[in-house]
Amino acid sequence: DGEERAASAPGSSPPPPPEEPPALAAGEAPAEQAGDAAAEAQSEGAGGEDGGAADEPSFSDPEDFVDDVSEEELLGDILKDRPQEADGIDSVIVVDNVPQVGPDRLEKLKNVIHKIFSKFGKITNDFYPEEDGKTKGYTFLEYASPAHALDAVKNADGYKLDKQHTFRVNLFTDFDKYMTISDEWDIPEKQPFKDLVNMAFWMEAECRDQYSVIFESGDRTSIFWNDVKDPVSIEERARWTETYVRWSPKGTYLATFHQRGIALWGGEKFKQIQRFSHQGVQLIDFSPCERYLVTFSPLMDTPDDPQAIIIWDILTGQKKRGFHCESSAHWPIFKWSHDGKFFARMTLDTLSIYETPVSDTVSWGDFSWSPGGNIIAFWVPEDKDIPARVTLMQLPTRQEIRVRNLFNVVDCKLHWQKNGDYLCVKVDRTPKGTQGVVTNFEIFRMREKQVPVDVVEMKETIIAFAWEPNGSKFAVLHGEAPRISVSFYHVKNNGKIELIKMFDKQQANTIFWSPQGQFVVLAGLRSMNGALAFVDTSDCTVMNIAEHYMASDVEWDPTGRYVVTSVSWWSHKVDNAYWLWTFQGRLLQKNNKDRFCQLLWRPRPPTLLSQDQIKQIKKDLKKYSKIFEQKDRLSQSKASKELVERRRTMMEDFRKYRKMAQELYMEQKSERLELRGGVDTDELDSNVEDWEEETIEFFVTEEIIPLGNQEPAWLCPSCVPGAAGKLRPAGAVQVVPASQRAERGNKSKPVRKRCLSPVFTRR
Amino acid sequence: LWDCETGKQLALLKTNSAVRTCGFDFGGNIIMFSTDKQMGYQCFVSFFDLRDPSQIDNNEPYMKIPCNDSKITSAVWGPLGECIIAGHEGGELNQYSAKSGEVLVNVKEHSRQINDIQLSRDMTMFVTASKDNTAKLFDSTTLEHQKTFRTERPVNSAALSPNYDHVVLGGGQEAMDVTTTSTRIGKFEARFFHLAFEEEFGRVKGHFGPINSVAFHPDGKSYSSGGEDGYVRIHYFDPQYFEFEFEA
Repeated sequence: DGEERAASAPGSSPPPPPEEPPALAAGEAPAEQAGDAAAEAQSEGAGGEDGGAADEPSFSDPEDFVDDVSEEELLGDILKDRPQEADGIDSVIVVDNVPQVGPDRLEKLKNVIHKIFSKFGKITNDFYPEEDGKTKGYTFLEYASPAHALDAVKNADGYKLDKQHTFRVNLFTDFDKYMTISDEWDIPEKQPFKDLVNMAFWMEAECRDQYSVIFESGDRTSIFWNDVKDPVSIEERARWTETYVRWSPKGTYLATFHQRGIALWGGEKFKQIQRFSHQGVQLIDFSPCERYLVTFSPLMDTPDDPQAIIIWDILTGQKKRGFHCESSAHWPIFKWSHDGKFFARMTLDTLSIYETPVSDTVSWGDFSWSPGGNIIAFWVPEDKDIPARVTLMQLPTRQEIRVRNLFNVVDCKLHWQKNGDYLCVKVDRTPKGTQGVVTNFEIFRMREKQVPVDVVEMKETIIAFAWEPNGSKFAVLHGEAPRISVSFYHVKNNGKIELIKMFDKQQANTIFWSPQGQFVVLAGLRSMNGALAFVDTSDCTVMNIAEHYMASDVEWDPTGRYVVTSVSWWSHKVDNAYWLWTFQGRLLQKNNKDRFCQLLWRPRPPTLLSQDQIKQIKKDLKKYSKIFEQKDRLSQSKASKELVERRRTMMEDFRKYRKMAQELYMEQKSERLELRGGVDTDELDSNVEDWEEETIEFFVTEEIIPLGNQEPAWLCPSCVPGAAGKLRPAGAVQVVPASQRAERGNKSKPVRKRCLSPVFTRR
Repeated sequence: LWDCETGKQLALLKTNSAVRTCGFDFGGNIIMFSTDKQMGYQCFVSFFDLRDPSQIDNNEPYMKIPCNDSKITSAVWGPLGECIIAGHEGGELNQYSAKSGEVLVNVKEHSRQINDIQLSRDMTMFVTASKDNTAKLFDSTTLEHQKTFRTERPVNSAALSPNYDHVVLGGGQEAMDVTTTSTRIGKFEARFFHLAFEEEFGRVKGHFGPINSVAFHPDGKSYSSGGEDGYVRIHYFDPQYFEFEFEA
């Protein structure tokens, strides 16, 4: 409006600038009109001055002329573009905490501000309110577009100009918005309570473990209670999943895979708890705390909208974030820290821990979180003169608590012990001057000061390595088929790593420790035909050797009491079944399932008992075991009573049916006689009178036995009655060994004896 | 057609396609056989009356039943020679009249090919052995399904004991899959089930190829099995077999 007045009254001094921001755009229209007025005034003035000299006719309107043509009719199309008062407001920002300067330094201030803020876009207008000769400490800037204004707010807010001045930047429209917030607060509407069912139901019932079974080549999925006698089915559904299933780490959810995404099921009746839409999902991973789900689909990626990997909040079902994914070769791409606070992944040259990238421009080998604390272990391969390195880094401090240099490294693999007590780095090296690859195990003792490292040298190729969960032993399978050995080592407190025992000539290619430690199953899966060895590592004895022919999987139950070996239809098309064993290697059940695919134990959530409570229970174990044994006996006798009842009913029904059939048979006897010309053939001895009996003797062989040297009647070993419970037909012979031949004076010829077991007679 | 005593061939009947199954009726006067669906020829069941020599001489059966759907893979005569009980490639069972050739009863209990049908000694019931890994017990007159015996391998043959409530099943798997299972000796077993309880109570090892045929001796004291390995094994039961009883 200051401009307006200035335009309409040229020559007058500019009035003091108003407190309100100038309606700059609005000023243009009045200026236009004012311009007309001014032009009119000027032309009138001009006309007035020049009155006498003009030969031209005056083109001016007469003084009392009233314009009857509206502006809309005249300038309609231009008026359409007439800026509104509200236009352009979205492109204006307000910058506060600007230094207050006098007119001498105003130019410099404007330059500085301009330089800083033109980074976000073209500044079309600026205004520096003044008072008492100094700027007021805030300015208004207008950009060419609202997007630039937003950009400026986002990036310049908090910009530190100097020690005393940190810019605060806001959109001009924000002031209005915040001033118009009503003082009344509407209480949000109460959402009806979504009862998510009792998620921990399965732990309360009887403390039996559950497992999922996929069979009929994926068409059916069942959930069973594990029972020593026979598995008890809880739930069975057709086409519950399209490929396979996964349990969440604490056992709360069952995830099923579908073309359109993932479904989560839980509670007593396995209701659907949540659904995540991710077309073509192939792989999933849970965070350890069960709060987040990571899904991967190779189909969904677009360059500007990463959708290959999505992280979901499980409870709300919301998509939290999407990521690109180059390849799914190393799933899970995101590795979670043990408490779920951080997750990290490695791309070509970056290890990213969200949301803090750690480092870049270094090529990475591999990394792994400690299961016991927020420590990350990673190794970096050799780079020109710098040897390969294994580093242990504490997060979030990023302090390197241990670094170890390794020379001539070919490859490294990281193996954490389950509680994070130890880290084993399997290092494959080619020592200088040799061709072959040598393997060392570098054992990091995480719980000791400064993390000492011990080295164990291995002379043979390593097939498998596994830490004992909850313990300080590890097992190694080494050698080349068929000469494979297993070695058990103990990491002792005194700094030594002791080889406890080595067993050679093993048929094994995988190590399966019990989740509670101490017991281990060495399995020769797939190509080794399912050889199993059950070992107790407290004294390194082999408890049992057994076989499940063509077994493809071994799964311990969460308590470490049972082992399941299975032959999956995915790897072998016949004999698909799962067998249940005790931890000592005693076979309890064989369960055949048509086209059995997969069995997964449901994980248990961590215990709610304190260490003291556990100690107390162990002390009173005798008392508890008495109660449990009684319960077991009751349920067993109940089961056998049920079985006997069932059998009795089946037998009765069958007898009834047979009786009816017999009656029909008897009725038809006359017809049968007729068909066979009067000869009764109903029983084997129906017409025994017609039979003739003939006894024939024929010469078999002659044996001359001198009296006096007669040995007692001799039966060949397989004919001793009762030994194998079987009697073999007569005529079995045995060759007498040379040592005994001498007694009979017949050194050259073997003496044949005839067994004297009874001979069968046949007609 | 052969003479049992002398082994002399009495008649030779040429057919258009392979003969799958054949048998005498109870009276011993009528023979039937089924031919495969092959080389453009349909599956037929042909009937010859031996009392009429012209039928044999001219190779003209007095009745020929065409089988339009899946071919017949096994067939036996009914109890009094009044009907044929046939098992098909798709698992169906049909009872055909031996006089008119029409289908009297039809049931489908098996999901895959029926490999063998054997009657009980009194012919009131029969057992079927099927590729769907089960054997089933049926009533001969009504074709009503009575019992099912489940294994995890295709069943090639099944036989009913003449004097006990036992049935023996012999099987293995497809001949072409043999190399993929254990070739250890004796892995192929004949399995014994109780008729009323449908529960397995015994296995006999010995064959090292799939078992193709099993049969009980009429006195019930032994049984025989023939296998892909080229052997016929004759087994005599232990005393325990006759004393065994389920808890019931």
